[in-house]
Amino acid sequence: MRQFLVVLAVSYVGAAASVWWLSGFVPWFLLPDFPFLAIVFAGLFIGGPAGFLAAIPPALFREITVSGPPWTFFLSSLALYFVSREIALRLFVRAEHFILSVVVSLLLTESLSVVILMLLAGSRPFSFLWGMEEAVRIAWTGLLAVPLYMDLSGRWRRVKE
Amino acid sequence: MGSFFRKWWRLLTAIFLLSVAIQFFVRPPAALSRADAFHASGSILFRPVYATVDFVRHGISSIWSHYIALVGMSRENDRLRREVASLREKLQENRDTLLENRRLKELLRFSETAGKKTIGARVVGHDISPWFQSFFIDVGVEAGVEPGMAVVTPAGGIGRIHKTYSGLSEVLLVTDGRFTADVIVERNRVRAVAEGMGGNLCRLKYVSLTQDVVAGDRILFSGFDGSMPKGILLGTVVGVDRPPEGLFLKVQVRCSVSVHAAEEVLVVLYRPSIPFRAGKR
Repeated sequence: MRQFLVVLAVSYVGAAASVWWLSGFVPWFLLPDFPFLAIVFAGLFIGGPAGFLAAIPPALFREITVSGPPWTFFLSSLALYFVSREIALRLFVRAEHFILSVVVSLLLTESLSVVILMLLAGSRPFSFLWGMEEAVRIAWTGLLAVPLYMDLSGRWRRVKE
Repeated sequence: MGSFFRKWWRLLTAIFLLSVAIQFFVRPPAALSRADAFHASGSILFRPVYATVDFVRHGISSIWSHYIALVGMSRENDRLRREVASLREKLQENRDTLLENRRLKELLRFSETAGKKTIGARVVGHDISPWFQSFFIDVGVEAGVEPGMAVVTPAGGIGRIHKTYSGLSEVLLVTDGRFTADVIVERNRVRAVAEGMGGNLCRLKYVSLTQDVVAGDRILFSGFDGSMPKGILLGTVVGVDRPPEGLFLKVQVRCSVSVHAAEEVLVVLYRPSIPFRAGKR
């Protein structure tokens, strides 16, 4: 229950601050995707049905705040949870560089998938400058994930002990 | 076979969910674009946040305009008194012209608004995802807002309603890569299709090489596709490239409205004549 509430709080406060408070004056590439981080955290660190339940509210927040077609970001966020869970069970090592590489790879994969889908659909709103900004966003979100995950997972371990 | 599924069920579930998501992305089902209880619960959860942020922002601006800005008020007051006296004289001279002008203006305003009712809305948040350009406004389904309705400002068109919730709507901006609309060049009525290209720019598609489009031309929504009101300004042509190969001109348009700086907008409460499919137009 406590894990669920912490993941909910991180995703809710993060999404609220980024979308409703800071988005008007802070550039988008400096605003980390907190619901994304919460979903990956649930996949990597929270086992069993609790992890899946914890991933549902952040997935809903992404669905509401990202302007994709209806249900696409909710479903892809749940897929993101299952992929993170698979990574946690098969090859995850609880170390800073592993966390960084997992988060960056997942962000990169998601971004490339959306870009390819949009290009296939005929939209071309992407430029070199956009690519640079997106690289900043991915790097910044990945770097933020390391202390956040290490701190939260450390707390879990202490609580369990 | 059973052990394979037991071993890889998470990955298989992820692949299934992604396949459905991609299907919805490419071809969004019309039935799913309607507001539902699940989405409504999300928007209700965020309502206290954006309402508080809006209140605080406008509170700060009110304090600024009512107290801090009073410092130069006395000097401005004297200047305005002199200006009012001079304007009164002019007003007396032109009274007849002024009354006639007022009547004509009222008539024009009536003709503009009689067919299409509008509702004012405030921008309360922006989509921070890297792929899409949209913002959120503080009116939703209860105000009669529906997906596909046009969103305009006095300076020009700004977008189209994409999703609606209770007390909240999402506006797909004219600069989003998924936005398309039928437009015309004001000077010579050349038709084209405008498509968002990020930043504050749109591109015009299907303008023949023989057409006369030059930098500085104003681009208006034609209204032929039924999605945006006719005659609303989209922007001004900033670049025309005639490629040596190909059939069409490459035309770039700078939007007349700074889409990211807009604070108040008008939603045209007019159901689009062509059914709107959220996510793709």
